[in-house]
Amino acid sequence: MAEPVIPDFGRGSSCVRENGTFCWDWVNSHWGDTLRPALVQHVVLTLIAVAVGFAIAFTLALIAYRRGWLTTPVVLVTGLLYTIPSLALFQLLVPFTGLSRTTAEIALVSYTLLILFRNTLAGLAGVPEEVRDAARGMGLTRRQLLWKVELPLAMPAIVAGLRIATVTVISLATVAVFIVNEGLGAPIYAGLQQTFKTELIAAGALCVALALAADALLVLAQRALTPWTRFARSA
Amino acid sequence: MKQGTLRLILALVAALALTTGLAACGGGDDDGGSGSTQAAASQPGKGKPSVTLGTKNFTEQFVLGQLYKQALEAKGFTVALKQNIGSTEIADKALRSGQIDLYPEYIGIFNTAVAGDAKAYPSVDAAFGAGKAYAERHGFTLLPLTPFTDIDALAVLPKYARAHQLESVADLKGVGRFKLGAPPEFRQRETGLVGMARVYGIRDVDFSPLTIGLQYQALDDGKIDVADVFTTDGQLQGGRYVLLRDPKNVFGFQNVTPVVSTRVLQAEGPAFEDTLNAVSRVLTTEAMQRMNAAVAIDKQSPADVAQQFLQANGLV
Amino acid sequence: MQDFVDAVQFIGEHTALLWQLTLDHLALSGAAIGIALVLAIPLGVTLGHVHRGSFAAINVSNVGRALPSLALISIGVAVLGIGFVNVMVALIVLAFPIVLTNAYVAVDGVDQDAVEAARGMGMTGREVLWKVELPLALPLIFAGIRTAVVYVIATATLASVAGAHSLGDVIVDQATYRLPGVLGAAMCVAVLALLAELLFAALQRAVTPRALRLEERGVPVMLGDPPLTNERTAST
Repeated sequence: MAEPVIPDFGRGSSCVRENGTFCWDWVNSHWGDTLRPALVQHVVLTLIAVAVGFAIAFTLALIAYRRGWLTTPVVLVTGLLYTIPSLALFQLLVPFTGLSRTTAEIALVSYTLLILFRNTLAGLAGVPEEVRDAARGMGLTRRQLLWKVELPLAMPAIVAGLRIATVTVISLATVAVFIVNEGLGAPIYAGLQQTFKTELIAAGALCVALALAADALLVLAQRALTPWTRFARSA
Repeated sequence: MKQGTLRLILALVAALALTTGLAACGGGDDDGGSGSTQAAASQPGKGKPSVTLGTKNFTEQFVLGQLYKQALEAKGFTVALKQNIGSTEIADKALRSGQIDLYPEYIGIFNTAVAGDAKAYPSVDAAFGAGKAYAERHGFTLLPLTPFTDIDALAVLPKYARAHQLESVADLKGVGRFKLGAPPEFRQRETGLVGMARVYGIRDVDFSPLTIGLQYQALDDGKIDVADVFTTDGQLQGGRYVLLRDPKNVFGFQNVTPVVSTRVLQAEGPAFEDTLNAVSRVLTTEAMQRMNAAVAIDKQSPADVAQQFLQANGLV
Repeated sequence: MQDFVDAVQFIGEHTALLWQLTLDHLALSGAAIGIALVLAIPLGVTLGHVHRGSFAAINVSNVGRALPSLALISIGVAVLGIGFVNVMVALIVLAFPIVLTNAYVAVDGVDQDAVEAARGMGMTGREVLWKVELPLALPLIFAGIRTAVVYVIATATLASVAGAHSLGDVIVDQATYRLPGVLGAAMCVAVLALLAELLFAALQRAVTPRALRLEERGVPVMLGDPPLTNERTAST
């Protein structure tokens, strides 16, 4: 058996070799193969979790709005799920759904339910009674009242909930690396295994930037959807 | 309003930065290799069912995973890579439950942790024979071993070695109580604390469980006295650490063998096995060390390193 | 399902170990929370009292919430090395914004009529703070403490990857403890977090004057996050 050819893999810069606090050159050369894919996966994980979580929580909130008795059990269950630490919840799901994206998504969705449910319901409940009276006085049916009056007025609270949920998921999706090697948790964990400061800081900073960007975008969306609140704010 | 304007600017800057990042410098596809030049020659893997390859939770495994994956893909096979599954126990469980179809395992670990066989074999071939027998009884196949062996070793800082006159693991008995840092599974292993106690009589150990990779930092920081390391670790290049000899071979043989589900092996055809073996054949200790160092010290990505190596040896 | 039965059995067989790890977990969490409270409450209360620094005090919480806990612990390892102190520092950084923002909003948002009335009665600024603002602000301050406590307990689970000890030691070590052990420890952590939540919920209720109980207004408030929106809502 002949000895294999071992190519020269290239030396890392001295910054990298000495594990300097932050090496831009590494970030530049590994953006495409390490950081960007992780970022994209992270965004996808988050979007799916928030979308599914919102669908579930919103539906539950609408039902609970009509049937008040539902509120307490839903809050209890979703609150329970929210309180279970993420690492624990991921592992508790593994026997059922294995080491897959599904497991990660189920856990992430669970963390959104309480906030989204609570805020939607609170937003609806916070609509002033006079407005409802006026609307009923104008002859609106209950359904019209809900969709044309109450929900739009509940928007700020709903979007506030979306903001909190989104940022929470972005943060927790890093822990999903213990289940499936995707998302920004992957370079974080890899960086941890080498105590490679640059990778840790780069991936961590990306995660923070992602959360801030998502939060800001949602604020813009809320402003676009509820132009009348602009006046309330400057008052 | 100040709050609002600032938020707006923040959002625009962040969105701009993200978009620029996502669009520009976007040369790299995902892990390299798949888009390389079509080997117009044989593509025996085309049409075969997709395979899921798993790897355990440290650098060398990532490199091995990429090596096998890219070599298979060059032959037309469809490979899904589940990287960083966890330790042996998790990988074995994943294999048995069908979540993965194969993963690279170390023969010694396979025998002790998977087969539950604590016997110390006199030669690597004997160990391999025993492992193969067990595997076949349980629906798996062990493919031929790699030339390189990656065994556990105990590393200390040079000044600690001088202070306690340490040359071999046996010398640790005379040190008294010392702090040992290792991955958690080390505590239960024959190729770990259990073997050290049984063979060398070393029992007075303050065990500190550490994620793989943190041991070097802990050693440097003085948080532990002795670290469990792997002999092909990239960090060992450069002689910063002293490795204690293991004359009684507690740490055994740890050549790599791809553990494959027999059913999948048969479904994929003989070219599958041949491709994997062709890769295994060229993995010498030096090759592995250099690849590990490229990842661990020069911070190259495992996919890049694997691709370069395979290309240099005509395997992709 | 069998795994969960085995998990309960594991808890029974390894009670001493789990108890020790629980104590480690609580020690880590307690130290972090304690220091965070000492730092954040005086600062938040003071800022709220003088009604200054609203942008920073409210947005630090947004940034704080965005900090991925695993990343923060890992950066802590990069900068400070492994061990109890370093993980504790990361936990303090995570808890601080929550407590600060809540303390600030709580005191800042106290009904100004009550404050005016108090000043009208001749109280000094300090008396207003201690006799009027703080009692009224207490529920929301406690909501912040409660959120922070549960958050820190949850995050302390990750301490194991950074050389500190907690119940997470078992969860990340499936090699030694096998799946039943991992599940057993996960269940313990969940229960621990829940107990903390219930305890602080009760404490929060205890310090809330009846008149302020939001539940009575039909708004379900379970886990005390900062106020529902970040702009000050007129109705509260």
